Amino acid sequence: MFNIENLTVRINDKYLIKGMTFTVPKGQITAIIGESGSGKSTTISALLGILPAQATLEGTIFFNGRDLIDLSRDERLALRKKHFFTIFQDATNSFSPTLKMKQQLYSLTALRLGHKNEAFLAKIKVILKDLNLSEDVLESYPFELSGGMLQRCMLACALYNEPDVLMADEPTSALDMLHQQEFIKRLKKLHTQLGTTVLLITHDLGVAASIADFILVMKNGEIVERGQVAEIFEQPKHLYTKRLVANHF
Amino acid sequence: MIAKWIGKRVIMGTIVLIIVSFLSFFIMHAAPGNPAAAYYGGNAQTLSTAEKERIEKAFGLDEPVLYQYGTWLREALQGNLGYSAKEGRPVAAILQERLPTTLQLVVLTLLIVAIASTWLGLLAGMKEGSIVDRVLSMFSIASSAIPPFWLGILFIMVFSVQLGWFPTSGMNDVRGEGGLVDRLYHIVLPLTVLVISHVGIFARFLQDSVKAENRSYYVQVAFANGVPEREIRTMVFRNAVIPYINYIGMTIPSFFGGSIVVETLFGWSGLGQLLVKSVMVKDFPVLMGAILIIGVVVVICLFMIDVLMICLNPRLRRGGIV
Ligand SMILES: Nc1ncnc2c1ncn2[C@@H]1O[C@H](COP(=O)(O)OP(=O)(O)O)[C@@H](O)[C@H]1O
Ligand SMILES: [Mg+2]
Repeated sequence: MFNIENLTVRINDKYLIKGMTFTVPKGQITAIIGESGSGKSTTISALLGILPAQATLEGTIFFNGRDLIDLSRDERLALRKKHFFTIFQDATNSFSPTLKMKQQLYSLTALRLGHKNEAFLAKIKVILKDLNLSEDVLESYPFELSGGMLQRCMLACALYNEPDVLMADEPTSALDMLHQQEFIKRLKKLHTQLGTTVLLITHDLGVAASIADFILVMKNGEIVERGQVAEIFEQPKHLYTKRLVANHF
Repeated sequence: MIAKWIGKRVIMGTIVLIIVSFLSFFIMHAAPGNPAAAYYGGNAQTLSTAEKERIEKAFGLDEPVLYQYGTWLREALQGNLGYSAKEGRPVAAILQERLPTTLQLVVLTLLIVAIASTWLGLLAGMKEGSIVDRVLSMFSIASSAIPPFWLGILFIMVFSVQLGWFPTSGMNDVRGEGGLVDRLYHIVLPLTVLVISHVGIFARFLQDSVKAENRSYYVQVAFANGVPEREIRTMVFRNAVIPYINYIGMTIPSFFGGSIVVETLFGWSGLGQLLVKSVMVKDFPVLMGAILIIGVVVVICLFMIDVLMICLNPRLRRGGIV
């Protein structure tokens, strides 16, 4: 799905990403792990085309055979609208505080797809029910819902949109243990239901191990190790990965 | 629920007004000079000591200040604001003439400032780093640093004396028939001075508020997920306007403060000018009445702002604060 070669991101003289080469295979779950500050979020921003204006981007990002590096602002927006959906870490702040969830979920889904309001309501209600959320959510404001519920609302948007690539940047880091596991279970279900390509970022090895097909280990803006889950866990090659694995168990 | 909340606000507003009137009363009486002087008019020299004492006794000025305040408060609560020491007319009648003219000036200023600063603030705040953004940041500081009386004098010199476009002072043409056009013609200069000295700082507030909102997490989430920019801008405005309206509410007293200077300068016979005149002749009943009525207007404005905040902010509506 994604073919990234020699991706470099730099702000002034500071390299956030130093020549990353990797692929995100279609229909699989790829996880990027690494400590905080290693450049995981920057990688996602580069793929989405939402890097800050002062950042310089080099290399190639092939998406379905098309290079995204030199796209205009509008083309990148169109791409995000049509093919991607991203869930971020902080669900409680992911929604505007003064709008009902109904309106915000509409903007994040039906507006992208050009659906009418009735069609939206019919579809979103089914999805919410499936995620064990009551219809009251639609008439609620974000501050009336828990972080777990709001993160499930983001997941509802992903289910609604059926994006080609679902990205998730530490989606469980702000949740408590119970909700973390539940979220991962639901993400896995979405993946098997829709066959969505998933790019998951996490600093939690347990999360990566439980769901990913393929793992990339990042450190200081570089990929230091990559492989199937079993390979990474059973025979970590890089010293950094060994330490991560050792700390985890 | 709502009735209880309104009741609470009315009680709080009343307490504020009582405190304001109490402080004003004591500050007036602490000022040097004899409060009875206003009753003598120009006859201070010709009056005998006995006559002066008679006047003081007649108006209760020989009583302790606290007792005098108690009397004023009791009467005021019953709707009697007393009589002007200078003119002998009921204070209420004087206020009835003066309040509408001040409100004309202040409400019009507020309206223009709100519209202009919203437009400017949005224009600048939505495009961070643009020329409009940077120019407004500088203009707002400059405009708020200009003293209104200096600007007023400058305007009179340029637009009235040199160019002769607008009258130097007054509210109506003494030879003309009055009417709306004449009033508008007279209000242009004082209004412009008040607007210029307020608009920059309000626009700046909204500008900063919009910029801060634009950096917020939910905006990034919406942007990353392809929500159209129009939609995002609407969300941002909705949230940025809440602190802005609150700010306007908090600065409403400053509009009345500004109107004191401008009314005096342009001979606009409103409450501001009345305050200044009454201070000079020590017409305490009028002074107290004017302060009270401005206080009432401010308290009502703040109440309306609160209601607006509750309408705009679901947290206040549903968070159990009301
Ligand atoms: N706008 C920016 N300007 C300068 N440095 C940045 C900016 N954004 C992120 N960085 C830096 O880039 C590095 C990688 O950040 P990030 O991608 O957020 O890491 P991660 O998501 O792995 O925790 C960090 O050292 C961070 O301080
Ligand atoms: Mg991150």
